[in-house]
Amino acid sequence: MSSQPIDGEFQTPTTSEKILGPMQRISPEMQRFSDNELVDYCIVGVGAAGGVLSQRLAKSGFKVVGLEAGPFWDTERDWVSDERGSHELYWNDLRITGGTDPLSLGENNSGKGVGGGSVHWAAFAPRFHPSDFRVYTQDGVGADWPLSYEELKPYYELLEREIPVAGPAYFPWGDPHGYPYGPHPMGGVGDVLVKGCSNLGIRSCAGGPVAILSGSRGNRPHCIYRGFCIQGCKVGAKASTLITHVPEALEHGAEIRERSMAFRVSLDGRNRANGVFYYDREGREHFQRAKAVIVSGYAIETPRLLLNSACPGHEKGLANSSGTLGRYLMAQAGNVVLGRFEDLIRLYKAPPAHALSEEFYETDPKRGFARGFAIQTVGPLPIAFAKQMMAAKGAWGWGLRRVMMDYNHWATLGVLGEILPWPDNRVEVAEQKDQWGIPVAKVTFSLHDNDNKLIEFGKNKVEEVLWAAGATEVVQEKRYAHLVGAARMGSDPSSSVVDKFGRTHDVANLFVCDGSVMPTQGSANPGLTIQALAARTADYLISQGDQIFTSEKRDMTRPPVRTELSPAGTFVHGVPRLAHV
Amino acid sequence: MIKPGDNPEHWIIDEKTGRPKSPMKQPGYYPGFSTLGQKAYWDATTRETVEKRVKETPPIRFFSAEELTLMTAIADRLIPQDDRVEERRIPIVNVIDARLSAEKLEGYVYEDMPIDSEAYRLGLKAIEAMAVELYSKRFIGLDGVRQDLILKSIHDSKPMAALELWKGMSVHRFWALMLGDCITAYYSHPWAWDEIGFGGPAYPRAYMRLEGGQPEPWEKPEKRYEWRAPLTSISDRYEEAGGGEHPRQGGTH
Repeated sequence: MSSQPIDGEFQTPTTSEKILGPMQRISPEMQRFSDNELVDYCIVGVGAAGGVLSQRLAKSGFKVVGLEAGPFWDTERDWVSDERGSHELYWNDLRITGGTDPLSLGENNSGKGVGGGSVHWAAFAPRFHPSDFRVYTQDGVGADWPLSYEELKPYYELLEREIPVAGPAYFPWGDPHGYPYGPHPMGGVGDVLVKGCSNLGIRSCAGGPVAILSGSRGNRPHCIYRGFCIQGCKVGAKASTLITHVPEALEHGAEIRERSMAFRVSLDGRNRANGVFYYDREGREHFQRAKAVIVSGYAIETPRLLLNSACPGHEKGLANSSGTLGRYLMAQAGNVVLGRFEDLIRLYKAPPAHALSEEFYETDPKRGFARGFAIQTVGPLPIAFAKQMMAAKGAWGWGLRRVMMDYNHWATLGVLGEILPWPDNRVEVAEQKDQWGIPVAKVTFSLHDNDNKLIEFGKNKVEEVLWAAGATEVVQEKRYAHLVGAARMGSDPSSSVVDKFGRTHDVANLFVCDGSVMPTQGSANPGLTIQALAARTADYLISQGDQIFTSEKRDMTRPPVRTELSPAGTFVHGVPRLAHV
Repeated sequence: MIKPGDNPEHWIIDEKTGRPKSPMKQPGYYPGFSTLGQKAYWDATTRETVEKRVKETPPIRFFSAEELTLMTAIADRLIPQDDRVEERRIPIVNVIDARLSAEKLEGYVYEDMPIDSEAYRLGLKAIEAMAVELYSKRFIGLDGVRQDLILKSIHDSKPMAALELWKGMSVHRFWALMLGDCITAYYSHPWAWDEIGFGGPAYPRAYMRLEGGQPEPWEKPEKRYEWRAPLTSISDRYEEAGGGEHPRQGGTH
């Protein structure tokens, strides 16, 4: 067979525009505000939340500057279908990790660049269950959210269409619902999950829910099943705010200032935020004036920035009168269980995320621990898989070479388990400094009794699934996925950092909007919920109008859902919702 | 990655004949499969990145001459390549050197570890000290089994010697750091992809046969051969590594 396409090698199109996937182009010319110009909102971090916020606020007529520490990507020229070559997508600057169960950071859970973590997520996009919002009331552990599932539900429905999510027409767990885009075809790993679960009488669902296009839409093509989701989707089929929301934010006059590292939120003499200090790519110091500040730096950089912004009147860090800033950091149990099969699997094909079961999500008193876990497909490419074998089998030397030659015989499933919020799991600032001279984050993480019991049960259950699917050998490695918490929301200013709309209890025009506001995390991947919370906070800010910039008043009225702010094209596709859900 | 002599004692053993199997251009069960053969179908940026990896081996800047010799001997045990002909061996130490000399971090440092470059300097010193303490020889002068025994004790997180030096950092984290870096170098190379039957980059063309382990038209079916590791090694068996939890992990979910 010919090794040459008919027209010769594929080449990158010549254009001065930024290329986002093979069909989308955006002009590098965007609105530029000067530092001295008083903008309405300065958003620190243009990731999953910052992308949605900047789009909605700009579309509503506000002057918005987004400061992003990393680059504004051109997906065709900057990204590669290659594990090692994707190093720059991650937050690689120094952090210290410790505790009895220290977290791997960097590529495991921390993005950098426009789109943030939504660039390298696997894109599983399940909703949280209604029970997640009242964990303390139901189980006497963790915390309740200051809002209910019902309050967030309209935003789940909205974001599922905006990004959009492909999945089954009927998803049976939590609040049952259907998805606007059809499920994806199955890969070998999903087949294993469904087969193993079926043989054990466990319900499973295939082909989603994932924020990956199963049919093309607008200027985004459908998935091509190449398997490099967490290296950044060059296809543009997997959603990231870089391609779903940021282009429209720019159209409406937002400025996204890349390679701008915020280091201090500034207050005026009246306890109001008046802007953000940051370093540009050459290390020059700037100050962007703003009428209100939203910190969207995720669960480590958000508390780090606020702690580093300590000032008279806020000696423990900005918005930390409760002492809870940086505390209640959570990661999910993410044990990977690997099964070897006599038949070939070829696990590198299809999106890593394409089948799951939430059958064990809720508390079952018979198990002896609170809360639960999900079972999900994962799809490690060769480097990741070899490192899993190093951990799971203790492989090295010839043993490593041997098991790697069997790469195509293995299927890999992940536990996604709820670890509870604990005050001693936290982000602090360390003595060490980064390349800009800013004190770095120190992350401490330790498992507690409930967590250990849950992980043991979840790991054993997933092992059972693999055996039931016909595996001839099953091994596992312990690990953690995602990061949330550390600036949690709550009604009581003495035990939380922000209120239910993300406004800090201590400074009326300072907001936090990202995964760090979550009081608990469920067993669902957090990406969809982060974006839903951002859309809701945006609706609140828009409803409050100039009050945010001038008043100390805290109006807790629920804002109307502004579907008109969804990106253009959101409502042109999709199956009708099932009448009874 | 030059190995003096290519002594058949280091070759793998053909399970059928019981005799040493001479080094191959392409080990693994997918004879004739070539990911690079498909490069014209890849996007230009990916093609440049992968081709550069094959054509350009980065120069040594970080390791001293002595450290380089030692690290090369260690890498030959951590990811042995004696079943590969010399011109098809995959550079490992140069890739590690490039990361360390560029002071590239991976986003974090464990509180009980020095930064990566210092960890390597300390680890290499300790491994050499173990060889001298245990066998009164330099590590590179030891036979394969003794080299493996030293490394196995680090794998187990129970170093047999040089305990004072090992007190300077977490042994199991150093093991994961060093072996993890070797893995990244080896399994990022398209020749390793050919060996394990990984399809490689597929944008913009796509994969179309997702289920049942079916090969794409340009992929090859599996053809297994049975082999044993050389008698001069002890690494072809699986025992859990020491030290508890598993450090240094990339993303999954």
